[in-house]
Amino acid sequence: MMPIIEVQNLSKNFRIPKDKKYSIKANIADIFRRKDYEILEAVNDLSFSVDKGEFFGIVGKNGSGKSTLLKILANIYKPTEGNVNVNGSIAPFVELGVGFHPDLTGRENTFLNGTILGLSRKEVAEKYSEIVKFAELERFMDQKIRNYSSGMWVRLAFSIAMLVGTDILLLDEVLSVGDKDFQEKCFDKFKEFKEEERTVLLVTHHLGQVRKFCDKVLFLDRGKLAAVGETNEILDKYINF
Amino acid sequence: MSKIRRSNNYFELLWVLAKTDFKLRYQGSVLGYLWSLLKPFLMFVVLYVVFSVFMRWEIAHYQLYLLLGIIIWNFFAEGTMAGLNTFLTKSEVMKKIYFPRILIVLASTISAFISLLLNVLVFLLIYLFSGMDLHAWMLFFPVYLILIYLFVVGISLFLSVLQVKYRDVEQIWEVLLQAGFFITPIIYPLMMVPEKYWFYLFLNPVTGIIQYSRKLIIEQSLPSLSGTLYVFLFIVFVVVFGYWVFNKLSYKVIEEL
Repeated sequence: MMPIIEVQNLSKNFRIPKDKKYSIKANIADIFRRKDYEILEAVNDLSFSVDKGEFFGIVGKNGSGKSTLLKILANIYKPTEGNVNVNGSIAPFVELGVGFHPDLTGRENTFLNGTILGLSRKEVAEKYSEIVKFAELERFMDQKIRNYSSGMWVRLAFSIAMLVGTDILLLDEVLSVGDKDFQEKCFDKFKEFKEEERTVLLVTHHLGQVRKFCDKVLFLDRGKLAAVGETNEILDKYINF
Repeated sequence: MSKIRRSNNYFELLWVLAKTDFKLRYQGSVLGYLWSLLKPFLMFVVLYVVFSVFMRWEIAHYQLYLLLGIIIWNFFAEGTMAGLNTFLTKSEVMKKIYFPRILIVLASTISAFISLLLNVLVFLLIYLFSGMDLHAWMLFFPVYLILIYLFVVGISLFLSVLQVKYRDVEQIWEVLLQAGFFITPIIYPLMMVPEKYWFYLFLNPVTGIIQYSRKLIIEQSLPSLSGTLYVFLFIVFVVVFGYWVFNKLSYKVIEEL
């Protein structure tokens, strides 16, 4: 079977200037000086693949490159080196949001986001009530998002990402935000995902969640692949690291 | 990177983004969309009073010349200003979801273009009200509207990525727009400028677009074809160049947002 995500020798470097120059004057003044920046190797020579229908966990300490990796998979960043092949549609959920606009209502944001994720307006309309129901925001959809609590914001964002029906869902530290009931509901939804053969990449520090849901785990250490494989085995390695 | 979207409904996405942009532009204001009409017309009233009433310029159809010039220039200024700030104002969504980045720049220019079309509609009403009549030359007017739109797109593509790297861009562009407003024959008729300077005025394609539109609509005659060709080639160059720069840099600048 062809993997749905294939990553080969992926590297991503960021140039971190010692001090950021935002004006032309500062840049002109610095032309003759030595360029002063460090290279941060956020992701370093990473290769792995994810099969269709797999629940794939990504663990690692802060700064190990998990979020950068997700952003590359979501095509927000371009790799410095290496190849990424994604054979399906992606709904990314990174940095606790999907890019809502605070001055639009919940309803308008849902349509905007659904369209950005690749649905037609008609398709969003078909899924709209399901999304609202899942987010438990029936009474608030005509309110501006700026008046939402952070919990409401995340619930709506997450419901859209879950229910637009893309092949792949990228989740970066999301389940830690909702309350217990909402988390339970998400886990139930995950079970449906498994039946529908949808692929989920889960980045989290909650090892319990990883153990419960993930078939495979990738363990990142400072941008490098430390281990990849069957969940329990990798998690044991990670805990004893 | 292979297909990330399920369907390629980019036109629909573009339209939704443009509508959102238009909606957000005047959000929170009581008069709302009306501002897109009021702004150029208030400017028109001030300039008309100053030049026609105070300074007593007596030029046939001055009010129509002035209004058309202001409407076109206003679109050029607002469109490019909105376009160049796209990455900064829309950073929230660009940092989180992929979609072709060019769409969001196009969306903000389209939203300004909608304002232009509304303004043109009001202009035509005033035009008819002044006792002028409809004529066949007007059918060529959309050509110039499309040209000025493309010019705005080209400049926006180039400036928007530059603006992320250097925040001075906005300040510089504002000064240039300010200067351009006076260097372009908008308030004063071209005839007042010594002919030896015309060449320089027409180097700026906006001058051509404004003059040719006036000639077409108000003077009801065919504008210079070679001039139009120059405007067209200049704008094509700017669009191609802007697109090239945008393609080269748009991924990079997102990392800096």
